[in-house]
Amino acid sequence: MSDSTNENARRLAEGARDRVHFEEDALALADQVYSVARHLSGSREEAEDLVQETYARAFRSWRSFTPGTNLRAWLMRIMTNLNIDRGRRKQRSPDTQPLEEGDYYLYNRLSDSISDDNPQEDQVLRRLSQNDAVTALSAVPHDFRDVVVLVDIGDFSYQDAAQILDIPIGTVMSRLHRGRRILKQELADTVVEG
Amino acid sequence: MNILGVEDPCDKCEQMLQPYLDRELTEAERQEAESHLEGCSYCRKRYHFEEKLRMFVRQAAVEQMDPQLKQKLAALRTAL
Repeated sequence: MSDSTNENARRLAEGARDRVHFEEDALALADQVYSVARHLSGSREEAEDLVQETYARAFRSWRSFTPGTNLRAWLMRIMTNLNIDRGRRKQRSPDTQPLEEGDYYLYNRLSDSISDDNPQEDQVLRRLSQNDAVTALSAVPHDFRDVVVLVDIGDFSYQDAAQILDIPIGTVMSRLHRGRRILKQELADTVVEG
Repeated sequence: MNILGVEDPCDKCEQMLQPYLDRELTEAERQEAESHLEGCSYCRKRYHFEEKLRMFVRQAAVEQMDPQLKQKLAALRTAL
């Protein structure tokens, strides 16, 4: 066998090995990717479709991933772009959202609904169920929810969230702050008004 | 701001809640928040509640992936 044939065979073997590693690393993140997808999408079915599309695209374009960089953020970037492509953006723009209540609003509403005059935080928190949290999160408008889901559930930094969503870091911070307030308002409405 | 045009310290503390928990405040702002929190059980309770709420929402949002989906994802891998 000539030297150039050997070199080609070696390169092919290396490429195959890198691809296998990439696919294994990506699959190991599937639970975390799904967790974010579930709250970016409206339903379990949509989330499952979104995750499958994300992995199909990631496996096709694995060569564009730079080894040593954040694979989880890279997968999220693909996923959020796909989610936007799926026409999910037909909604009110963030600028037209009504002003939300302040950060103490949820606590005040929940504690007012408790007979104890001076309840402890845990007692107030127990008014909330897991289902309330999921329902309230799904009611937060997408632009705000994307950021809340990435930072508060996906545990991404502001910088990562800015890169994933392709928006300035200042926008990440303002949407996160407003998104959390809207979430608390939704929770208050869900729990207190039932 | 109250009717005399003076900012209510609890209103100010409420404004600082998210940046405080996100560690975005300057050192001077952080000290201002902490000194208020030390003497104000009203704000202290709401800060503690917010911390616990964030953890609660994070835990509530975790939903197990269907094992069949995992299999479907594995099947998307390139054949060797």
